[in-house]
Amino acid sequence: MKEQTLIDRKKNLLLIIIFQVFIFISLVVALFLAYSLTKKYVENEFTSEKVDVQEKTVKPYAEFFQNKIPEISFYQGFLDSASVVKYVDTILTKYAFINKVVFFDTQISNHQIDDGFKLYYFHIGPKAVYQFSRGIQHDSITLYKSTWPNPLSLKVSDEFTKMAVKFSAFVESSDTTRALTTDDQLNTFYNIRPNVITFMSIPRREELSIFKELMFKKLSRSLLYEQDILSFQLTPFKLPIKNTHPELYQKIEIKPLVFEPVDTDPDNISTDIPLPGAFSEYKLYFSSSRSYINREIKNRFFPIACGLLFIYSVLVAVAYLIYRNLNINSRMFKLQYDFINNLTHEFKTPVSVIKIAGNNIRSTTKLSDKERMHYGKILDEEADKLNDLMNRLLSFTQIENKSIHTKIETINLEIFTQNVIDAYQLKYPNFNIEYQVKGDTLFKTDATLLGSLFYNMIDNAYKYSKADSRQLNISIKSDKKHVVFKFKDNGIGIAKEELNNIFKKFYRIQSEYNQKGSVGIGLAFCKELVNFMHGEISVKSTPGRGSEFTIILPHEI
Amino acid sequence: MLAIILYFAACKQHERAVKIPLEAFFRNSGKSSFQISPDGKQISYVQNQLLYVQDLDGKKGRNLTKKADRIIGYYWANNDMLFYRSAARDKRGERLIAVYTNGKPSQELLPRGRFKISLINPTRIKDNTLFLALNLRDSGLFDAYKLDIAAKKLSLVFKNPGNITEWYVDDDNQLRLAVASDGVNKTLMFRENSQDKFKPVITTNFKTNIKPVGFCRQNKSCIYALSNYGRDKMAIVEFNCLTGKEEKEIFSHKDVDVVEAGYSTKRRGINYAVFETWKKQRIYLNDSAKSVYQKLEKLLPNTEINILSRDSAEKKLIINTFTDVTPGVFYLYTLATNKLLRLSEPDSALSENNLCPMKPQSFKNREGFTINGYLTVPKGSSGKDLPVVVIPHSIAESRNSWGFNSEVQFLANRGYAVFQMNFRGSTGYGKEFYTAGFKKWGTAIQDDITDGVKWLIDSEIADPKRIAIYGTSFGGYSALEGLSLHPELYACGVSYSGFTNLFTFIKSVPPYYKPYQQMFYEKVGNPETDADYFRAYSPIFHTDRIKAPILIAQGTKDPRVNVNETNQFVRELKKRGVLVTYILKQNEGHSFRKQENRQDFYRQLEKFLAEHLTKH
Repeated sequence: MKEQTLIDRKKNLLLIIIFQVFIFISLVVALFLAYSLTKKYVENEFTSEKVDVQEKTVKPYAEFFQNKIPEISFYQGFLDSASVVKYVDTILTKYAFINKVVFFDTQISNHQIDDGFKLYYFHIGPKAVYQFSRGIQHDSITLYKSTWPNPLSLKVSDEFTKMAVKFSAFVESSDTTRALTTDDQLNTFYNIRPNVITFMSIPRREELSIFKELMFKKLSRSLLYEQDILSFQLTPFKLPIKNTHPELYQKIEIKPLVFEPVDTDPDNISTDIPLPGAFSEYKLYFSSSRSYINREIKNRFFPIACGLLFIYSVLVAVAYLIYRNLNINSRMFKLQYDFINNLTHEFKTPVSVIKIAGNNIRSTTKLSDKERMHYGKILDEEADKLNDLMNRLLSFTQIENKSIHTKIETINLEIFTQNVIDAYQLKYPNFNIEYQVKGDTLFKTDATLLGSLFYNMIDNAYKYSKADSRQLNISIKSDKKHVVFKFKDNGIGIAKEELNNIFKKFYRIQSEYNQKGSVGIGLAFCKELVNFMHGEISVKSTPGRGSEFTIILPHEI
Repeated sequence: MLAIILYFAACKQHERAVKIPLEAFFRNSGKSSFQISPDGKQISYVQNQLLYVQDLDGKKGRNLTKKADRIIGYYWANNDMLFYRSAARDKRGERLIAVYTNGKPSQELLPRGRFKISLINPTRIKDNTLFLALNLRDSGLFDAYKLDIAAKKLSLVFKNPGNITEWYVDDDNQLRLAVASDGVNKTLMFRENSQDKFKPVITTNFKTNIKPVGFCRQNKSCIYALSNYGRDKMAIVEFNCLTGKEEKEIFSHKDVDVVEAGYSTKRRGINYAVFETWKKQRIYLNDSAKSVYQKLEKLLPNTEINILSRDSAEKKLIINTFTDVTPGVFYLYTLATNKLLRLSEPDSALSENNLCPMKPQSFKNREGFTINGYLTVPKGSSGKDLPVVVIPHSIAESRNSWGFNSEVQFLANRGYAVFQMNFRGSTGYGKEFYTAGFKKWGTAIQDDITDGVKWLIDSEIADPKRIAIYGTSFGGYSALEGLSLHPELYACGVSYSGFTNLFTFIKSVPPYYKPYQQMFYEKVGNPETDADYFRAYSPIFHTDRIKAPILIAQGTKDPRVNVNETNQFVRELKKRGVLVTYILKQNEGHSFRKQENRQDFYRQLEKFLAEHLTKH
């Protein structure tokens, strides 16, 4: 039997060790995988998030290109030197990357326009040219006016001429019955080259057909149709760089497209992405040192590692709880087994005594009065024992299932205690019981239940005391709310580690004093009783010196 | 017993009107444009863009136009012939087409070409002579021509020196009156005989109008005119074209303009004057006209009556009647028998019981002017705490009138109160009121709309959380400005071909309107000198201010509102997270023509309003 448990224990231990090793290995593997994935992820991000930075950085440019430039068309060619100032002002204050704006107040007709461009009968030429920029001298705003004697300088007219040629070609070939497509618009009315965007207000369909007529038909002198051409000079270096991922990119710069770093430091990692549109000759150049990236990897790995550790600790805790539950179950099983063992033993003694007495009575032919008295007494006593045993079992189950019916009556604690002690003095003449009652002696309770408590406490005190020091002191103190009963004996006491177990069902302290006549339900029964009466039970004990049980019962149940 | 009747009456009051299907409100079909032949023996009408002729009793109805040409307007030339203006599908210009009731094949009256037609005397044709103005020489100039419609002979009557915009022919087929305009100022030109030279009579600014109505009977130099020269409200006057002086005021009203002078060509005199307060009212200036109208009013009580056409003897009339809850019905009225013959059946779905009366309603704006308008409250409602749709009218210089309006009735039938108002700049209330709207788009005009909405809230008619603003064209512009300037006031807005950009609007004045450009500049603003105002009050520059859900409808071929701009506008709004429902219809202009497109718009309008004006 003992060998078996030892093997079992060894098996268990092995299992536990295997389990722990397995857990540990998988933890290490998981941590390792997590680290390498994080590293790969951060390195990937370093190359992929540049798109995000580029998008955020060119956002003002995109906004300018998509909203502010088409807005020129909203003015339908009506912009002049006064109203253009307001438009340009908003742009120059909002977009730092615009250096200079040149405004060509343009006219279209079928007759000669100075400094203009001509295709068939179609003439397009500037009425006036203005330039705007931050801090420009007032007198240098106007570059050209058609009323001035000197012609438009080639340098200034360059953008205008390109646009005029483009537009004339479009008018020549366009199908004016068809609505303009986005492609037409982008190809004709925008001229985008590095650092310069030129835009011409998009005429309405009706005007386009008029222009076409002007171009091909010899008509009388036409009106002057107004168009606006604005040319924007840009610089990419004024684009505010938005480092949306400072954790990844140590440094972001705008560099020419052909730029390559001179010092190819192996500890530096870098990537780049070209800028769109008019800035296409430049790129965003991103660089970070290896240690900078490593720090980011660590920063990201830390919470993952914590998470992993947490999950594993939860796993271990769950495993421990399962193990403990299994342990308790097996102990309960053992306790029940013991209990039945004890109970059988308890029953066996009186039953065998009765059997022997029965045999003796049957085998004797004639029974003397003395013998009859003797056997009668034995039978009576043993039957009482059995009865007592069964009563106790029965009442315990009843209490446990709360199926007991109480009968509340007022008792005098002093008389009640005296009666109990008197009964015991008869039973155990060498058991010295003393008592004191303080405070109110009247107590409303179920006398039977209270009696049970007293019997159990006194029985225990008797049972666990050495024959020469059987003593018990019962002190009862009553205050407004509670009655406190203290049972103090000079018995063997209870070891500290056992104190928690003594109120458990079927638990018996392994000791020479309870080999006989104990089933291990006494104190458990007391606890159930006290609980039932809404009270508390506690114990203080010193091994070898004695124990003190305290029961507190409330006046009102 | 009485109690029971009262109880049922009370019940009925609270009953909601039956929901009328949307299609019933917006059907293009139905017979319209009834006219009677000069001999009074035949009746013509238009149905589904086709011209029909029938006998008086409705028999022998036959179609005269085969192809579905777009008929712009048609007239009886004589007893056998009708002619109509038509826009060719290929847009190469307008045509004048003659059709015959006796089965003769139809023919074009004018040579083919790219020109526009402006008819001068289509309803007063004598001796087969039609006067008309054509821009044959120059797309910007109209010359007056005489067309013998029997012989198809076109001859130039008067070569436009460059500034003539209107012509008038007297009842002896003499072109004796013209109006010259430099865009801002108008000059009345007169000659006593067609051989003479035109002499300027009087020059007025375009805000002042002297509108010739007809020539007087005896005095050759006397004309009848609607005039507000030297006065604020239009009046009917006798005007001497030799002296340039007003001879006599025939009728005027102290509060409103006279809107119509009923001139009789037979009598060469004024029969009646019509002025419009909250509804049109007629004052009779001639006893025979009075007796005719009074007989009609007895036959058709409580309705508006218009005489649309009469035979040359003026014995048979075609009339049209309507109220706020009945769409138009056409009758033939025979004076001799005092009998009415119904020519068209109204749509049975639009029963009077389910439509809602349109009530005149006025309020004071922030400057203390009285602004007049109309309130249509859904049937069976308490009249308090209602969801309201505010509809600014679609042309700034026009007015809302009392009568049947299918859009208003549709919205009222769906449970919305409809509020329309004649804000400053509206016509009909005199010169001062009209000019008060000049260059006030988005400002004073918008203030009046806003004040109207605030009045609705203060008088507890409107639930302040459930007010929508909806308009077409200028009304759409006002809706956009309303959402942009007063986002706190409107739960949502609808712009149907609304102007988004005043620059574009000004630019869209077509070239043959060039003389009027200066006038437009004065009315709306000059895009160069008023660029700041244009910028500040063009919704396209201020998409960031609009927050409320918005429905925008646009035709791709709208000459007034640039589809690219509307696209851009919608894109911007969407980017800013505004809930936009965008209805873009291919091949539609400033207002949707195709029935399914119209119905689809109203279906979406219904859904949109239901979504954003329901009680939360």
